[in-house]
Amino acid sequence: MTGEDLYWTFIDIANGLLSGAMLGGYYAILSIGLAITFGVMRLVNLAHGDWLVVGAYGAVIILQILPISPFLNLIILVPIMFAIGYWVQRLLLNRVSAQSMEQRGMAPSFALMAPILVTFGLSIVLSHLLLALFDSNARNIQNALSFSSIRLSQDLTISTLRFIFFCIAIGILAAVHLFLRYTHTGRALRAASDDAGIAPLMGIRTAHVYAVASGLSIAIAGVAGVMVGMSRTFQPFDGTQFLLIAFGVVILGGLGSIVGSLVGGILLGVTQVLAGTYFGPSAQLVAGYMLILLVLAVRPQGLFSR
Amino acid sequence: MSISAPDSARAGGAAAPLLEVSRLSAFYGEVSALHDVSLEIFPGEVVSVIGANGAGKTTLLKSIVGLMNQGRAAHIRGEIEFRGRRLDRMSTEEIVDAGVTMVPEGRRLFTSLSVEDNLLAGAHLPRARAGIRDRLEQVYGLFPRLAERREQRAAQMSGGEQQMVAIGRALMSDPSLILFDELSLGLAPAVVDDIYRRVQQIIDRGVTCVVIEQDMKRALAVAARVYVMLEGRVVLHGAPAELTEARVTAAYFGTEIGQHGS
Repeated sequence: MTGEDLYWTFIDIANGLLSGAMLGGYYAILSIGLAITFGVMRLVNLAHGDWLVVGAYGAVIILQILPISPFLNLIILVPIMFAIGYWVQRLLLNRVSAQSMEQRGMAPSFALMAPILVTFGLSIVLSHLLLALFDSNARNIQNALSFSSIRLSQDLTISTLRFIFFCIAIGILAAVHLFLRYTHTGRALRAASDDAGIAPLMGIRTAHVYAVASGLSIAIAGVAGVMVGMSRTFQPFDGTQFLLIAFGVVILGGLGSIVGSLVGGILLGVTQVLAGTYFGPSAQLVAGYMLILLVLAVRPQGLFSR
Repeated sequence: MSISAPDSARAGGAAAPLLEVSRLSAFYGEVSALHDVSLEIFPGEVVSVIGANGAGKTTLLKSIVGLMNQGRAAHIRGEIEFRGRRLDRMSTEEIVDAGVTMVPEGRRLFTSLSVEDNLLAGAHLPRARAGIRDRLEQVYGLFPRLAERREQRAAQMSGGEQQMVAIGRALMSDPSLILFDELSLGLAPAVVDDIYRRVQQIIDRGVTCVVIEQDMKRALAVAARVYVMLEGRVVLHGAPAELTEARVTAAYFGTEIGQHGS
């Protein structure tokens, strides 16, 4: 092997690691919402991917009315998505939670299924609603950065967009962490996650706390939707593929662990990009699922689970 | 053995009760767990509720703090009045806000949270947040051990320390009435002695307490009045001095139903 060969091998791996890590930041944002709803409510939200697509279409509408930067658009989109998430939880999902189904006399094993089935129904309703409001044509969110990249050295580059997404992912993770750690509501969320039965004795209203968790989850899904729309095209029925990515990341990182989402995202991203580099683009998805299988076999609770 | 109670508490004289439970029945689904239970708690007094397993002691406390309002799964009938307000029509959050709280059986700590976060979670209500730092210092003053371990996860504490966290967490909501469920269960006697010394300090500060206790001697020692429950009914009540141990034991096991003290 000549020196030049060695150099190119190094560059390939370095590029793979870098762009894989950047992709991981994007994957993390896709998944944090799912980790939050599972972590706080033990709710498997099958509509998670569809909320992401709703966010992407929401951005399309806002940008039609107000032609600003897609990033500035988040200032309008995020509060709207939070409000939608909050009220969907209060008016719909809290009513069908395992606890309230049991109170209405349903057997515990069936009661556990109720909220999952409802989120599945929500997924179908949301995607068909999008189809009715828009059409099945692929859309994207126009932006100036799509083809721009940052050159680190002569042969090492990363996509500007992915780099920004990575920074936003770190920002969101830090914000969620600080919120959970240091605010009264964040502490109440963690307390209700540990023992929802006794949380009311602290004066914690679980209905409100769950709604905040759901609002947070769907607001972040909205951010993820905008990122999806900026980096590729999307259609009303694309939710499932994002749900699958989010599931993979959450399983890798540990169910309900917020930091685990970032680590899981980066692991998945790096694996996919390296597999793509060495075995061709078709190997990307397979390699990702192999990794998930491997982690499930060795550490089924995920890498960061308590 | 009996400790002296404030005059207002003695035998339920002229003072109005702080808590008044009237003809309370409780049901888990169709199964009834309490039948027409009535009792009164006066300001500043300590009342013990004793009885065998399944006598309805825990259900009684859960009913008072609103944890039996569970739709079809669990519900209550009857009246519970606290300072003139009907607790039986309020949610647990509102009841805690009104000044009643419970230290639940088995502690029920938030195990993944630190000791300090458990305590702070206890002060979630706006009313309790007002003096949160002062109250936290008071709890640490009462339980210096917790101050040393404030960053430790609650799950890693010993049983006695966990009971201290549970008591401290209840104090953080600034209650006027604390219901203790099975304070000594699963703890070594020396630890229980220590816990009861701290509870005595809480009592001395004027907080009214109801204590459920398996250990009959301890229950008679700490309380100004005792209620004995059997199969969902109150079968005997009175001041410890008026109740001979033989009578309490008989009531406890149901061999002498229907005789009331005081």
